[in-house]
Amino acid sequence: MNNSVRNFYGWFTFLGLVVGGLVILGYYRDEYREWKQYQHRFIQEEIRRAATPQQKVLAETTPVEVRQILLPELNRVDRCTTCHLAVEDPSYGGYPQPLAYHPLHEQHPFEKFGCTICHRGQGRATTTADAHGSVPHWDQPMLPMKYIQASCGQCHEAADNPAAPELARGQQVFETSGCRGCHKLNAVGGNIGPELDKVGTRRSPEWLKQHFLTPSAVTANSAMPPQKFSDADLDAIVLFMLSQTGESAPGYYASMKVIPSAGQGQRLFLQKGCIGCHSIAGQGGKVGPALDDVGLRRAPDWMMQHFRDPQSVTPGTVMPRFGFTETEARALTEFLLHLKERNVAESLPSLMNPVERGHEVYRKYGCAGCHGPDAKGGVPNPNAKTAEQVPGLIYVADGYTKAELNTRIVKGQREIPALDPKRAPPPLYMPAWGAVIKDAELNDLVAYLVSLKPKGEDVGF
Amino acid sequence: MGRSIFRVGLPQSNLERSQAMTSSFLLHIQPAKVHKHSIKAGYSLGLGLISLYLFFILIGTGVLLMFYYVPSTERAYNEMKDLQFVVSAGLLIRNMHRWAAHLMVLFVMLHLCRVFYTGAYKRPREFNWIIGVGLFLLTLGLSFTGYLLPWDQLAFWAITVGTNIAGYAPIIGPKVKYLLLGGNVVGQEALTRFYALHVIVLPTLALMMVAVHLWRVRKDGGLSRPDESGDVIEQIPLGQLPTNKSYGLMELARGTTPQVGKNPEDEVFSWPHLVFREILLFLLVAVVVLFLAIFWNAPLEEYANPIYPPNPAKAPWYFLGLQELVSYSAFWGGVVIPGLLVTALVLLPYLDRKRVGVGRWFARERVMANSIFTICLLAAIVFTIIGTYFRGPSWSWVEPWQQPPAVTEGH
Repeated sequence: MNNSVRNFYGWFTFLGLVVGGLVILGYYRDEYREWKQYQHRFIQEEIRRAATPQQKVLAETTPVEVRQILLPELNRVDRCTTCHLAVEDPSYGGYPQPLAYHPLHEQHPFEKFGCTICHRGQGRATTTADAHGSVPHWDQPMLPMKYIQASCGQCHEAADNPAAPELARGQQVFETSGCRGCHKLNAVGGNIGPELDKVGTRRSPEWLKQHFLTPSAVTANSAMPPQKFSDADLDAIVLFMLSQTGESAPGYYASMKVIPSAGQGQRLFLQKGCIGCHSIAGQGGKVGPALDDVGLRRAPDWMMQHFRDPQSVTPGTVMPRFGFTETEARALTEFLLHLKERNVAESLPSLMNPVERGHEVYRKYGCAGCHGPDAKGGVPNPNAKTAEQVPGLIYVADGYTKAELNTRIVKGQREIPALDPKRAPPPLYMPAWGAVIKDAELNDLVAYLVSLKPKGEDVGF
Repeated sequence: MGRSIFRVGLPQSNLERSQAMTSSFLLHIQPAKVHKHSIKAGYSLGLGLISLYLFFILIGTGVLLMFYYVPSTERAYNEMKDLQFVVSAGLLIRNMHRWAAHLMVLFVMLHLCRVFYTGAYKRPREFNWIIGVGLFLLTLGLSFTGYLLPWDQLAFWAITVGTNIAGYAPIIGPKVKYLLLGGNVVGQEALTRFYALHVIVLPTLALMMVAVHLWRVRKDGGLSRPDESGDVIEQIPLGQLPTNKSYGLMELARGTTPQVGKNPEDEVFSWPHLVFREILLFLLVAVVVLFLAIFWNAPLEEYANPIYPPNPAKAPWYFLGLQELVSYSAFWGGVVIPGLLVTALVLLPYLDRKRVGVGRWFARERVMANSIFTICLLAAIVFTIIGTYFRGPSWSWVEPWQQPPAVTEGH
């Protein structure tokens, strides 16, 4: 009995040591964290730079601790500054990461925006790999700097944004390549392809690039024809896609949506219906004064006050208070000041004839994506009876009345006659646009289509 | 100081060894002397005790996790991230909890198999077997409710699949599912309910049943042995109790306590023979759990997203056999077969009443029962392995050693 008990004591000692060793190992692995080494490096650097004894003491007593920016409105906690300690200190400009200074953050102060709202990645993480987000089970890796302007588009209007030219270009490419013919974005577009409202959170830049060049490589049986973009256009549209995160910035952040640029002011001017009362170049309402030379007559401050509360600068005016945000008021002011340089008259809708407006509608809804930019067709649609292509539209006036065209656009055509019934049916078809295109737009569009018939050609049937 | 707590010092004599057991609250649950057969490692394999130790580790780490966890669909996932990235030892404790939980499911199953193969559920231990089956189901329930709490994709879809299986039962199935989830889909209500079940209801029930389970082990005569009579000695009618003694209450106790009709030479003192073995086993369990927790992290996938199901969405591993069966037929695989199995487990001691082959592994006399059990067990294992390793997107057959087919997405 004594022997067996003695054996036990041996085992107790051994296993007790193993448990103790494992606890110490667990503690060590927990205690040693990557960020601490960066903080020590930062503190060393601060000590080295200290000019006075007080500064030195200050540097030496810097606590080693997790630093975080709490952003409850954005539902984020960004701990990036645990390692990137010098983002706000310009004297660290040009330092290697993680101690580099972050230039140009005045407009987006860190305590209000944090880091991940623009850069993405995993704000709560405190190791490089996890924080930069290229780890399994984290679908928001850091955005490559090449595409960083995509983040501007989460909050700001893409078009006419002077600070984000790539984003504006991406939107331009998107709107002129006919993407909306198949894809819906913000409820405008066709239904052959998937909605793009949140595509920026679902897809990586590599996936998007591949998707534009050879859609079938990433999406089996994709109906989408391969796109021929220039390299710059490709990057721009990938960037624009990445900006579509479907996130609606809350409260304070939403008020900053409009960039106070003349371009955005022009868009606001049209959206808010100012032209109903005011006129430019003789076009528009006569209730309010003409605005052609308003930039010469009024100071910017006067305009701002006028947008905030018209009564305060023009007592008795009939112009209502529109409740513009401060940035909207600034954008409108900017627009009115630069009226002369902008050739506004060309883009005012009431100045265009129906055919011109119809052409705009044709572009707006992405008809060009399938029927071609000048409606001559040519996009491949394998196994379609119409020469395996989407048909051109320039001779529709010969085959259809306006009412028939109207119906065809509204109802669409789900079944496209096949060349060979044994093969897979043609992937592209005509979506029903009734719920999407407004009536007035529809009439303009039909007018445009009818006008396409080349002049001087006889009715050939 | 030590004496004021333990009342006796390290025992030197047999009397003190008995006193050591009876005077300590924790140790007095066990008898002062145990049968030699009961402490043979090769007989019980310590499976029940390992399960109990794991349960204790789970309570300890679980309470620590509760200090941080908030059962909110918005916050739960973030708390998991904070445990990993900022809380001291947070990840280690979560890992320990996770590993101890999986191990407990495994060891409770093994314990059940051991009790079956040694015929230990037979008279007089029929009822304790039923309590054991109840504890097995409670263990599954504890693991399943805990599965949802991290609120990641893994949690969300495993519980979605698991509760869908429950919904296949006729008539009551959908009601049970609705009751569990507090709605028709997994959401905040489900998280609240699973949390309450996981931290209050099920652990309390399990603790109480463990107490009864252990108490019954003693009252039913300790661990089963080949040479025990198994007879319940008739209780002496109250009227025949001798009235000239003051310890009449002792005689009211049932007859199958280890002291009754036993050969003293077959027994050894619990201190140190039983207690030392128990301590040793605890150290072993601690080593294994710590080792696993230090080197392998508990998984945490993306934040739960009801719009993007993983393909395939799989239940927790111990339900994958069931999910595999459900893939053939929701009714037969999800309701009839598991229902029959649980019923058979509960009724087993009353169906197999012949008291032969008790206390020995794979007794020849029980070849029939053992074969049937083994076939069911193997089937469960095979289905679980198929469900775990051989099922790919849309529950199609894949071979794990082959490159998975490139995942292509339709619109």
